[in-house]
Amino acid sequence: MTDVALDIQGCTVAYHDTPVLWDASLTVPRGTITGVLGPNGAGKTTLLKAVLGLVPVASGRIQVFGDTYAAQQDRVGYVPQRGSVDWDFPTNALDVVLMGLYGQLGWFRRPGAHENEQARQALRDVGMLDYTDRQISQLSGGQQQRVFLARALVQDADLYLMDEPLQGVDATTERTIMQLLHNLRDAGKAVVVVHHDLHTVADYFDRVLLLNKRAVASGPVASVFTDANVSATYGTEMRASTEAH
Amino acid sequence: MSPQAEVQLVAAVTAVACALPGAFLVLRRLSMMSDAISHAILPGIVVGFMLTESLASPLLIAGAAATGVLTVVLVERIEGTGLVREDAAIGLVFPVLFSIGVVLLARYASDVHLDVDAVLLGELAFVPFDRLEWGGIDLGPRALWVMGTVLLLNAAFLTAFYKELKLSTFDAQLAATLGFIPGVLHYVLMSLVSVTAVSAFDAVGSILVVALMVAPPATAYLLTDRLDRMIVLSAGLGVGYALVGYAGAAALDASIAGSMATVAGLLFGVTLVAAPERGLVATWRRQHRHTARFSAQLLAAYLANPSTPPVPLSEASNRLHDRFGWLPSHTQALISDLRDQDLITVRSGHLACTEAGQQLADEAAQHAA
Repeated sequence: MTDVALDIQGCTVAYHDTPVLWDASLTVPRGTITGVLGPNGAGKTTLLKAVLGLVPVASGRIQVFGDTYAAQQDRVGYVPQRGSVDWDFPTNALDVVLMGLYGQLGWFRRPGAHENEQARQALRDVGMLDYTDRQISQLSGGQQQRVFLARALVQDADLYLMDEPLQGVDATTERTIMQLLHNLRDAGKAVVVVHHDLHTVADYFDRVLLLNKRAVASGPVASVFTDANVSATYGTEMRASTEAH
Repeated sequence: MSPQAEVQLVAAVTAVACALPGAFLVLRRLSMMSDAISHAILPGIVVGFMLTESLASPLLIAGAAATGVLTVVLVERIEGTGLVREDAAIGLVFPVLFSIGVVLLARYASDVHLDVDAVLLGELAFVPFDRLEWGGIDLGPRALWVMGTVLLLNAAFLTAFYKELKLSTFDAQLAATLGFIPGVLHYVLMSLVSVTAVSAFDAVGSILVVALMVAPPATAYLLTDRLDRMIVLSAGLGVGYALVGYAGAAALDASIAGSMATVAGLLFGVTLVAAPERGLVATWRRQHRHTARFSAQLLAAYLANPSTPPVPLSEASNRLHDRFGWLPSHTQALISDLRDQDLITVRSGHLACTEAGQQLADEAAQHAA
């Protein structure tokens, strides 16, 4: 059994004239949490989507647990950006979490009592059990984010890809979410998180990918997350150790 | 069955058949696609009619439905270039296809029972005259069989793929990553919309098809926040349009289809205003209540605060305008309300909190905490 959860080699994605992602590589070992950082338009979301087969890849080799994504899709949990769905959709929090189990159920089978219990447990894990029957449009941004997280947790995946799970959440929720992600890592799972805030990188992540269309640097935070690499990624005088803005 | 009952039954079956895929059209923000499809199928109907020489042939329905799917593909391709937005793409595609149908109709099919009026408006009243017979036995109106089949087809599709449709409508990306091919589901759904539109146009016309697909789910959406209930409610509303619309048409001696669409529009209007949770009245009352409660809390907290200088009743309007920016009319109404509720009182010409008013002030303090 391979110790590498995700292996991306030389991935290039181009929608139009200019590439969104250029020859980017990343290796994610099991039992680690990796932050993906870079300026707006650096291709962070595209990188996750390339792994999931949501965007066509012009070149490169992507392996999930040494195999194709399609073969391993049951072992991958995805948390898209909160803004990617319509929160006025007529459904409640429990129902959204249940959607995480649809992949395991496959075609035609409906979720039953067992799946309901799993979904409730996931809501309990993210501290949202009191909101089980709440219409999703009535949840705050941080609560919606936690519902999305519960939807991924319920899959009990081995590799989690999360697109800005901390976007728009308050400080308490941020701590809750990071604790959950660290628990996943400690349970031997691999977690990849698109992240914005430079000054929490050292606290939150074991490894980091600095991305600006190409992979500027990737590896353990201690050796890779340097002022020089951060400046090279953001193209301005930015420092790894201090405030990003 | 009496001809009147047959007409009502066909109207109800058609309405439910349209409402089922309509629920997903509305949630996918594709309502206007039903308009495009219902017009763009005209060339398909004309060509199909020229080939089969029958308006009821399954071949004609399949051919015309293919034109509907072609409309969807063309709209998406034009939009996909990134040069034209979706609403413009719809506005570009369906008039062209519809015009081709009009030209074909005038040039090649002018001598048959098929004209633009019939396509646009349909005529439910004629439904009992076109009957299906088998071995000399009368099986009822042909339209009932056609729409009944379409209704069963739509209901079977929604039941079998309910979970998959729900997921790919709410979050198509997750659906794709879980292996549910949302693109294929999308085209199957649009094919069903096309089949439904082609089958229904003969009875109710292509304009009413749009009303029957969009109005029930849009109305139901205001009344429930669960998808399954929204779909069932949409179907129920469709039956309601048919029965009330028929009664209205009978009373006014007007077009049945037109009467149904009018009922649909009126019912949506009433729901928009009066829906218990999301209606305009409920929203306005909620806002009004919130404003009144927060004003009361602010005033109570202000009066209860020991550092507030005494507020003489005669000075209240000016003082509270300075402090909270309230108009004198608002202030006077508020003071009068709160005195009626015994939350504030007047002691030797000055405003003061009662014991209950003190509690209100404490509530206000919790907002600030």
